[in-house]
Amino acid sequence: MNQEEVVDALAGLSLFADLRRPQLEAAAHTFSEESFAPGQRILRQGFQGTGFYVILDGEVSVQIDGKDRARLGKGDFFGEMSILLGEPPVADIVALGALHALHLSGPELQGFLQQNPAVMYRMLQSVARRLRNANRWGN
Amino acid sequence: MALDTNAKREWMARVALFRGCSPDALERLAERMGEVEFPAGHHIVTQGQVGSGLYILVTGRARVLRGDDLIADLEPGDFFGELAVLDQMPRSATVIALEPTTCLGLASWDLIAELERDPQLALNLLRELAGRIRFLEDQYIY
Repeated sequence: MNQEEVVDALAGLSLFADLRRPQLEAAAHTFSEESFAPGQRILRQGFQGTGFYVILDGEVSVQIDGKDRARLGKGDFFGEMSILLGEPPVADIVALGALHALHLSGPELQGFLQQNPAVMYRMLQSVARRLRNANRWGN
Repeated sequence: MALDTNAKREWMARVALFRGCSPDALERLAERMGEVEFPAGHHIVTQGQVGSGLYILVTGRARVLRGDDLIADLEPGDFFGELAVLDQMPRSATVIALEPTTCLGLASWDLIAELERDPQLALNLLRELAGRIRFLEDQYIY
C-alpha cells in the first residue's frame, strides 16, 4: 500500500472515523504496515506485548491456552490492553489467513492517543462495550 | 459535608482517575461536580435504568451488584457510572450505599466534554477500564 491507500483504509475504520484528512495522513505516517502469514502468532500469551495492531484486512483468532475464544476482523484492534496495563497479553493472537495490519509500538500508542483525543474516545467506547460484555460472563 | 470548589479540587487531585490532570482541568471539573448524599440502603444507580453521569465516592461505602452477584465494594476515591456514559446503554449494575455515603456526581455531557478536552483524563479512564476487564476476564476464563 502507498501512503494514500493507507489513509483511505484508515478513513474507513470506526476507530479513526472522527479524524480529518490531515490527521489521517499523520496517523498513516505514525503506524507501520505489517503482514502476517496464515497461522502466524502476532501476540503471545504471557510474553511481553509487541505493540498495538489495527486490522486492515484479514481475521485473527484470540486463543487462551490453545482454545479459540474470539475472532477479530477488519477495523478491530488488539494489544492495547497489555500496553495500557504494562502486563503481558493474556491471549495468543493468531492470523487465520493472510493478515494485513497497522502497527504501533507500546510507547508510541500513548503519545498517539494523547495527540488524537477523538481516537482515544472511540477506544474508550470500545473498551466500555467490552467491559459490559465481560460483566455479563459472570451471570 | 459541604465541599466548596477548592476542597473538591484538592480532594480530586488525590484520586487516581485525575492523576496528572492539569490544575485547569481539575478546576473545571470541580466547578461542574455536584455533591450528593445518600442514606444507607439507597440505590445510587439501578441496573437497567438510563444513566446520566459518573459518580466518585467521597465518604462512606457502596456495593456494586449485577443481579444478585457481588461485583465489587467501593471505597472513597472509587468511581462508577462511566459505562452508561460511554456506550449510552442502560446501567450495567446496581450500586447501593452500605452506609451514609457522599458522592461527587458529574453529568454525562460534562464528562464527555472533559474527556475530549483532557487526554490525560481519558487515558486514566482507559487504563482503569482495561484493568477492570482484565480482572473480570481472569475470574471467568480460568
